[in-house]
Amino acid sequence: MDPEQVDEFVMGYLKKKGFNSAAKHLQESLHNNNGSSFSSIDYPNDPELTKLIRSFSQSENDPSRYREGYSKLRSWGYNSLDLYKHELLRVMYPVFIHCYMDLVGKGHTQEARSFFNSFRKDHEMVHLRDLQKLGGVLAPSHLQEMEFARSLRQSKINIKICQYSYDLLIQYLHRTESTLMLGIINEHINFQVYSGQPNSASDDIEAVTIVGSFHETADHVNQKEIHWGLLEDSLEDRLEKTGGLLSDSEKGQGESKAGDDSKKRSAEIGKQGSSTKKLKKDKAGTATTKVARQETSTVLSSMPRVKPELAMPVMSTDVEESILEDLRNRVQLSSVAMPSVSFYTFVNTHNGLNSSSISHDGSLVAGGFSDSSIKVWDMAKIGQAGSCALQDDNNQIVGKNGRRNYTLLVGHSGPVYSATFSPPGDYVLSSSADTTIRLWSTKLNANLVCYKGHNHTVWDAQFSPFGHYFASCSHDRTARIWSMDRMQPLRMMAGHLSDVDCVQWHPNCNYIATGSSDKTVRLWDVQTGECVRIFIGHRSMVLSLAMSPDGRYMASGDEDGTIMMWDLSTARCITPLMGHNSCVWTLSYSGEGSLLASGSADCTVKLWDVSSSTKLTKAEEKNGNSNRLRSIRTFPTKSTPVHALRFSRRNLLFAAGAVSKHSS
Amino acid sequence: MGIVPKETIEVTAQSIGITNLSPEAALMLAPDVEYRVREIMQEAIKCMRHSKRTTLTASDVDGALNLRSLEPSYGFASGGPFRFRKAIGHQDLFYTDDREVDFKDVIESPLPKAPLDAGVVCHWLAIEGVQPAIPENATLEVIRAPADNKIYEHKDGPLIDVRLPVKHVLSRELQLYFQKIAELTVSKSSPALFKKALVSLASDSGLHPLVPYFTNFIADEVSRGLNDFLLLFNLMHVVRSLLQNPHIHIEPYLHQLMPSIVTCLVSRKLGNRFADNHWELRDFTANLVSLICKRFGNTYITLQSRLTKTLVNAFLDPKKALTQHYGAIQGLSALGHTVVRLLILSNLEPYLSLLEPELDAEKQKNQMKSYEAWRVYGALLRAAGLCIHDRLKVFPNLPSPSPSFLHKGKGKIINAEPRKRKLSADSSENQPPHKRLITTDGPDVLRPHDHTGPAPMHVDKPIGNYNLPQNSAQPSSSEQASDGESRNGKEKERGKSRAITMKAILGQIWKDDLDSGRLLVKLQQLYGDRILPFIPSTEMSVFL
Repeated sequence: MDPEQVDEFVMGYLKKKGFNSAAKHLQESLHNNNGSSFSSIDYPNDPELTKLIRSFSQSENDPSRYREGYSKLRSWGYNSLDLYKHELLRVMYPVFIHCYMDLVGKGHTQEARSFFNSFRKDHEMVHLRDLQKLGGVLAPSHLQEMEFARSLRQSKINIKICQYSYDLLIQYLHRTESTLMLGIINEHINFQVYSGQPNSASDDIEAVTIVGSFHETADHVNQKEIHWGLLEDSLEDRLEKTGGLLSDSEKGQGESKAGDDSKKRSAEIGKQGSSTKKLKKDKAGTATTKVARQETSTVLSSMPRVKPELAMPVMSTDVEESILEDLRNRVQLSSVAMPSVSFYTFVNTHNGLNSSSISHDGSLVAGGFSDSSIKVWDMAKIGQAGSCALQDDNNQIVGKNGRRNYTLLVGHSGPVYSATFSPPGDYVLSSSADTTIRLWSTKLNANLVCYKGHNHTVWDAQFSPFGHYFASCSHDRTARIWSMDRMQPLRMMAGHLSDVDCVQWHPNCNYIATGSSDKTVRLWDVQTGECVRIFIGHRSMVLSLAMSPDGRYMASGDEDGTIMMWDLSTARCITPLMGHNSCVWTLSYSGEGSLLASGSADCTVKLWDVSSSTKLTKAEEKNGNSNRLRSIRTFPTKSTPVHALRFSRRNLLFAAGAVSKHSS
Repeated sequence: MGIVPKETIEVTAQSIGITNLSPEAALMLAPDVEYRVREIMQEAIKCMRHSKRTTLTASDVDGALNLRSLEPSYGFASGGPFRFRKAIGHQDLFYTDDREVDFKDVIESPLPKAPLDAGVVCHWLAIEGVQPAIPENATLEVIRAPADNKIYEHKDGPLIDVRLPVKHVLSRELQLYFQKIAELTVSKSSPALFKKALVSLASDSGLHPLVPYFTNFIADEVSRGLNDFLLLFNLMHVVRSLLQNPHIHIEPYLHQLMPSIVTCLVSRKLGNRFADNHWELRDFTANLVSLICKRFGNTYITLQSRLTKTLVNAFLDPKKALTQHYGAIQGLSALGHTVVRLLILSNLEPYLSLLEPELDAEKQKNQMKSYEAWRVYGALLRAAGLCIHDRLKVFPNLPSPSPSFLHKGKGKIINAEPRKRKLSADSSENQPPHKRLITTDGPDVLRPHDHTGPAPMHVDKPIGNYNLPQNSAQPSSSEQASDGESRNGKEKERGKSRAITMKAILGQIWKDDLDSGRLLVKLQQLYGDRILPFIPSTEMSVFL
């Protein structure tokens, strides 16, 4: 290579980088020296260096290099060995999006667009939503503005890759001198190389999720300790004690049985439960429930117990008694003993029903409407007034005496996005687009408090399992903990990268879980306000959450219809539950946690057998296999998307939804 | 290039009055506009999700604008989702279908009905894991009838692929229901209760799983209980109720039901007692047949043709009993006028000649037989009369043959079968000149002709059409059709009392009419068509 050429390169490089004075100096000295050699390095004999320099000087400006480099890498990846292919292809996506963002960042909007369009097909299947977001990024300023893009730019992506795949990739990059690709990969990808054979393509969900800087923090966060056990001296405990006193002989029997094969026993009980369930109120029935209770109690007593971190409200003895009574009469559910489902259909809502909720005993139904109103129906009264009218499709109940049969709660000044009952059913909590949360009394039918604190639409608000405290989540990306008697929030949980869409309390009240549009679910410590778990795996917005009654598992449903079962202690997905093909609006565990009910926009209620799943996974943890859970029953509605589900304390399942117009 | 081209920016700029927008500015603005639009849509989708919907509406976009603290878009909040039209010639260009509405129309139109208020209704989606079959729940898929024969065939062979029978789970409630209905049908003890059961059968949803059982039950009982008139009648009522039930999908079982129904129509003997009014059963069944053909004729093209073939065979077989002939005639006439015209009328002459000796009281001594013959005769008259009458109505410009007659006899039928009219209209259109001819004549003029004998009109019409005799006797048959009780009374009068002589006279008259009618037919069909209905009635009034 000519020294003059080298000079040119250097000049070009300096100019390009904006080192104008340096360039001037160089020029001057070049003139002064007039060709005399000042280079001590032997350029001609070092082709590597030449190329490197050339690449620096020439083509930094050339947007087509990205396309070229990426398409080469892509075709290489697709032609690689089958065994390693999926691992190598995993690298493509981050390279792709960073190429695109580089192009956008340098202002080559047109090239960026054509690059994006020519290769987006490859990644659409897995990353459709991300691509839709990124597709809108067209100017350098957008990169700064958009949270998602910014987090992608700032963080590195972890990719697990086996040793050989890694070697292959590096070799390829060096051999072809694709420095640009190498640069991107070095800058944005953090390889976690492991020895041995590559993982099979399908099992590793995390491998394909890219959520900004989460992984490191998530790994870090998920190390924290959590206590998922139930509260000490909970009602279940008390029930167990009283139950033990009532039936000593049975207990002895139960214990002797406990030595047996546990599967056998549960099957037996299932049979008994199903066969005698019809005689609920007979003696035989009570006997069965006792046996069933024995079962739950043996399970529950093995669980760890924790102390409450919050000051718990005192429960009145009446309420306590009624709950204990309910628990005593609870129907034991399992994959062979199905629950009954009572469906509350909202009619004539004119597309205005945003949310609905059912009280614990199913007697009250509340709907939050887009016209800022909340309507509460007392189903017990309706049942008395017009049982015949109920069957009428035209809903003549209302028209009967010209007066509405619900309680209208007016106060919000924006669409009401949630309306939920307190556990005893005496309060309604509503959240709205007017950034407020309001507390209503169902006895007085009046607004009691208006809680102001959120800066944006409040998407969801939920009472704690024992009342008094409640959690809310909002478009302002925070979740907050409140108590009924204070105007200001007690805690603020910040950390989600997008809207917090749903919130749910842990049964022991020490944690809340939040689901977000950033596709993660987080668990927060109520006392400290810290994030203690990050659950990564959803591919779209998380819409619904449910906690198992034993506090060990959590289920979350997303926009695509996927439900994920999480183990809270390990923050791992036990199994994705596939079956719904549209938004999962609601999830609910049965009283003893053996069944999970899910309601979806595809107009079905599905029941999932989650007891077997957790058992199996325990057994299969050793084998390292992941198993898929089956849905045991699907109940289609005529044309009603299912908005809300609730297992009563006696394990009757309530469902609610607004009939959709187009098919009726 | 992005989704938003710079031309869009230019057009938008012009539309809001900026004329001097430089192309560079438009080029710069376009990507930013696209980004903002995407941003708004992203927020709008969030609002949509939180409103528990899967269709984006204008209010969602307003919500998104609100989240971004922007002014909402005015004038689009319609409540429902937009309807988009595809622009012709463009792949993905859509526009909203916005009709222009005249202000006057809006003001003058009556106030729209107030929207119904929101309400909650509740039902059982499932009871202990089983979905009850109630109208509120989605209908279950069709369960196939239990195929019991085929299983054994498979088992004999060395085949590996033995298909197990579909397990057909019937809930306890349904079993009880079926038992109760079957009991009621067989016992005949409480007609009131049975009536209620029929109503339930005709209206309840969720009976579908029982349909195969009912079809089996009906087939069994019909084949067993041919001597039991009431049972057969009850069974046919059950069939009708099943057919009426809108929630039942009976088509797959029709082929099993049809033989039983046809049996009840054309069987030689239905019921074993003299008092059994099997005629009524045959009439009822004939209506049933027509109902089935009307409902399923389109889906099962072979249904009607097979049915008519069976009936015509029964009709034209002289060895068959007269009762069978009666059933066949009733069945055919229930199938519509085209069938009657093509199948009965064309065979009428030979048949009548066969029937004649039976009708004659002197030749046929067996009173029962004679009665049967008269029944058949009446059925034939009725079929042909209805057919002709139907034809007549095609010409509304003609003075109606007799309004009083129409009202008295045929009012119902006219209303019931407007479609058939058109059918026959088509068929009769090949004789338009005759009609014209007739219109010129008044009915008054024509009447005497009939009485005196229609000699002058002899020559021109060579069509071998035998409609007329029936027509001449139509009133009697129409009366039969219109009110069963009076007819029965008359029949009894005729058949059982010593009115044999009277009957003979009547027969004589009818035969006269018949003869003259035949002559008439050979002369001019439509002439008689119009006028003859009067004659027998007047004459009858004389004789009765």
